[in-house]
Amino acid sequence: MIQPFTPEPIRFVAEDGTPVQPLPERFTPELLRELHALMLRAREFDRKLITLLRQGRTTFYAQSSGMEATQVGLARSIRVGHDWVWPYYRDHTLGLAMGVPMAELLSQCLGTNSDSSRGRQMPHHFAAQAQNFVSISSSIASQVPPAAGNAMAQKYLGVDELTVCTFGDGATSEGDWHAGLNMAGAAKAPAMFVCENNQWAISTSIREQTASETIHIKAKAYGMPGYYVDGNDIVAVMEVCAYVADQIRAGHGPALVECLTYRVGSHSNADADAEKHYRTREEVKEWLGRDPITRIEKLLEHLGHPVSAGERAALIASTHREVDEQVLKAEATGQPDWRIMFEDVYADLPGHLRDQEAFLRAEQTGQAGQGGRA
Amino acid sequence: MTATQERTPTQGAAPDAETGTRTINLIQAVTETIAEEMERDSRVVLFGEDVGARGGVFMATAGLQERFGPRRVFDTPLSEASIVGAAVGMAVRGLRPIAEIQFADYMGPGFDQIISQAAKIRYRSGGQFTAPMVIRTPSGGGVKGGHHHSQSPESYYTHTPGLKVVMPSTPYDAKGLLRSAVRGEDPVIFFEPKRLYRAARGEVPAHDYVVRFGEAAVRREGTDLSLIGYGGVMPDLERAADALAAEGVSVEVIDLRSLVPWDKDRVLSSVEKTGRAVLVSEAPRISNFMGEVAYVIQEQVFDSLTAPVGQVAGFDTPYPYVQDKVYLPGPNRIVAACVRALNY
Repeated sequence: MIQPFTPEPIRFVAEDGTPVQPLPERFTPELLRELHALMLRAREFDRKLITLLRQGRTTFYAQSSGMEATQVGLARSIRVGHDWVWPYYRDHTLGLAMGVPMAELLSQCLGTNSDSSRGRQMPHHFAAQAQNFVSISSSIASQVPPAAGNAMAQKYLGVDELTVCTFGDGATSEGDWHAGLNMAGAAKAPAMFVCENNQWAISTSIREQTASETIHIKAKAYGMPGYYVDGNDIVAVMEVCAYVADQIRAGHGPALVECLTYRVGSHSNADADAEKHYRTREEVKEWLGRDPITRIEKLLEHLGHPVSAGERAALIASTHREVDEQVLKAEATGQPDWRIMFEDVYADLPGHLRDQEAFLRAEQTGQAGQGGRA
Repeated sequence: MTATQERTPTQGAAPDAETGTRTINLIQAVTETIAEEMERDSRVVLFGEDVGARGGVFMATAGLQERFGPRRVFDTPLSEASIVGAAVGMAVRGLRPIAEIQFADYMGPGFDQIISQAAKIRYRSGGQFTAPMVIRTPSGGGVKGGHHHSQSPESYYTHTPGLKVVMPSTPYDAKGLLRSAVRGEDPVIFFEPKRLYRAARGEVPAHDYVVRFGEAAVRREGTDLSLIGYGGVMPDLERAADALAAEGVSVEVIDLRSLVPWDKDRVLSSVEKTGRAVLVSEAPRISNFMGEVAYVIQEQVFDSLTAPVGQVAGFDTPYPYVQDKVYLPGPNRIVAACVRALNY
């Protein structure tokens, strides 16, 4: 049994890769290698996207480097395509680990015709119906009340699904966050709220964000258990999230999980040199020492199943190859044309949008009349 | 003001033996329609502050929890963000939520949920996820409510693509529009003019019917001037038209019923016929939705106009408590605007 409200983050593997408590049986070397591969793949995806950004082929990117254990661990703790996920904007690693095709993520970042949301959202705001990975909104914490509602609907329908809602530490200051947790708590809805506490909301540190010592203790106010996890220890994240998911499925109501992790890179390309403006190189260096990928590699080494340099290089090379291939494929589908602006606003095109579409069609084909509007 | 609301039976008069029509008031129409839709579709759930045992502060949901049980009709925490946001999540997961916001004035905390989530989830997900839902809320003045119980905030929502915005002024339309809202595939903001809840009485047929969005109603035909409004001001438009008729002026009265989408064709053909238009709403004038109607009229049928388009609106002040009736555009102010147009 895993305890809520622990004073220290729950941890199975120390930073040097040695287990601090017995590893649960399911963490075989095969599983650990699979998790390692998923995390490394996500890290390399990040690297490639930064390159695409520099090449001007996309315009925005928010890395999740350093947070792989939290997102991959969460993805591997739920029933993909059965449970529902209301993610936030730094969750592409969660998406990748849930099996959202890399082609889909890249298409969205590139805004091509192959993007399922048709180039309507800024890069990094995915949606994937097959995985019940609900569309990401930029407005912070606005996904939290809908996630509560999604869980309430699951309870109403009597299905054994649960709803996962993720957010960063900054989101916990928003009114919507408190409203959503309170609603889910009052309704005893099957919702797992996961704070990916990477300690910085753009340039605002967690210490400036809240006077509360931790995020997970806020769960007390909403009548739900709060779990505190070392978010860079994938074994801990999986153990806690799987336990919490089981508890929720058993009808015990919602829970809050705080994964203490660190965003190693900048918030986005918009603040590319974070160390110069708002945090110290020492702090980043300290957290690099707790890196989740290095930690699982050290654990595998400790268990006598090290990942060889060759295997690692092959994984990196295959990820880079895959990204390159998918980018070319996505770009070959071209950019969605102007018509997509008018589709999916409503279920059917109302008259005023029909008029405006006709106006734009005339303009685009060089047949626009004089002045006025549609 | 809510303490003075009495619990009243929601049954209307007995139906006419031949036609099956009954005369009921607007709030009864709302209650009946919710009940009928819940009966028809088990995915329809109703929730908000005090909608359960209390039956809503205006009694619009009286008896529904008793009838459908607390699983389908329930009170929520006092949080508009939660109510609207939860409706979005429920709709995405396959329910047909009807959320009540106690007063339109209190939609502020739910605004982010309305404009960021409800209005846009279809668009931003490329149709992968949609939020068919209804937000019902009493709006408008005339009930001595002061500025937090009397405002007309519809223009905030007509300005947001992805939302449909409607406001009935008769029991017939309340039933027909609410059915359309619950059965539709888009998020709908359903404003209920609270001063007409019991004041507006009218016949409703026994059979199932809908009023489609985007179809205005011509309340009376006329040839000299088009008087156009929606919601709580409609009885004042009728009174103004009566007063002008006594002076020999033939006024065409149009009730927009739905603002997004709105019935441009009906409005333009009326103005083409009469040559004059006066637009009435009780919302503050700046960025008032009727400004859009006026713009389209001057843009599209300018040559038909024999006078500038007139507008009667609320003042650009917070809604006052004591001067409730002075704030609202009453028949006199409407008649004066019509006379200006007629004498231009």
